[in-house]
Amino acid sequence: MNVSDSDDDIYNERTALVPSENPVLPSYRPDSDVGLQNDSPTKRDADDEELTLKYGAKHVIMLFIPVTLCMAVVVATIKSVSFYTEKTDQQRIYTPFTENTASVGRRLLNSVLNTIIMISVIVVMTIFLVVLYKYRCYKFIHGWLILSSLMLLFWFSFMYLEVFKTYNLAVDYPTVGVIIWNFGAVGMICIHWKGPLQLQQAYLILISALMALVFIKYLPEWSAWVILGAISIYLVAVLSPKGPLRMLVETAQERNEPIFPALIYSGVKLGLGDFIFYSVLVGKAAATGGDWNTTIACFVAILIGLCLTLLLLAIFKKALPALPISITFGLVFYFSTDFLVQPFMDNLAAHQFYI
Amino acid sequence: MNLERLPNEEKLSLCRKYYLGGFAFLPFLWLVNIVWFFREAFVKPDYTEQLQIKTYVKRSALGLLLWIVVLTTWITIFQHYRAEWGEVGDYLSFTIPLGTP
Repeated sequence: MNVSDSDDDIYNERTALVPSENPVLPSYRPDSDVGLQNDSPTKRDADDEELTLKYGAKHVIMLFIPVTLCMAVVVATIKSVSFYTEKTDQQRIYTPFTENTASVGRRLLNSVLNTIIMISVIVVMTIFLVVLYKYRCYKFIHGWLILSSLMLLFWFSFMYLEVFKTYNLAVDYPTVGVIIWNFGAVGMICIHWKGPLQLQQAYLILISALMALVFIKYLPEWSAWVILGAISIYLVAVLSPKGPLRMLVETAQERNEPIFPALIYSGVKLGLGDFIFYSVLVGKAAATGGDWNTTIACFVAILIGLCLTLLLLAIFKKALPALPISITFGLVFYFSTDFLVQPFMDNLAAHQFYI
Repeated sequence: MNLERLPNEEKLSLCRKYYLGGFAFLPFLWLVNIVWFFREAFVKPDYTEQLQIKTYVKRSALGLLLWIVVLTTWITIFQHYRAEWGEVGDYLSFTIPLGTP
């Protein structure tokens, strides 16, 4: 994959779900004021529990919208533009084992090997980032983040302009230059400096979508699915008590510092890596699956997984990986819909049999 | 970033920086400036810095309008005369449509 190392850093450091320190709703925790002294402890507990769940429900809905938007952009692009589904036969550095082999077993082995390489690169990058953060090399991290967002905003959006070829439009270089320059520069300002909140969120959604599209294009078929599965397992391991990501999150919380804005979607904090991988899953379902059944099934699966994860977050109240549950559901739904439900529905329709 | 929570001098400074930044061939930045500071400049009750913010928003609007005129003119000319320009047209093109019009 001809993307730089810094991209791995972006998409792996962003896969954590953290309860935000300042909940949007005013905390109406009953203080020990007059009039509440008569409350029995059990009633207060029940109130607290109810408040926690209300807090969770509102944020679930707040998160549905950006996740849905990101997936919608990816699916719309995949369905309308063939550029992202044309397979490139070139070998990429990160996935050197080709999938063009004769036997199924060989292909499977190659995709597993590709996955091992990708995951080890991610592990190395994670540890590197945590070490940098622990030793307070903030300038280095900032420079790295700026470089990666620069690449995302300029290069990948330039690639996206291939969509003009689909619609057979003539576009000239000066116009393209102005568009890309404006999109990129305002994006950098909004994400890394100060800008309107909604514009910043829109940019984060757009760069997640661009990144997901690049993944869909450049990862070989089976490797992509194995990588999705492996990343979920990796995250469960990494956010365990001794893992590097948990250390990163906890160090940030101890120092009372905000985690870098370029990595996280604000509100309940959802990492950008989560957006990217959800969109990769749905995008691949749209690209390779039979038809809309598979795509919508994966979409619903991911949202259900997200709800469950947020519920667990409200119960456990510490940083959780947002990927595993959703990706597991997504993968299960994709494969079962593609191999079981789809042929079933087709047969029913062919025989005009209504159930 | 919530504008409500900023003191007025900082709002003015932000508006000014966005206005100045737009001169780097960034009409989009001017658009963001206008939309973001519109309420501050024209709807909110008066405060000291508001007059200057109004000036910046108005000038950003002027700049944006100018850019829109220039871009529209250029795009129209290009689309119309691209085929006739021959080689220069191709050289300027990022994508060239296929088939005959």
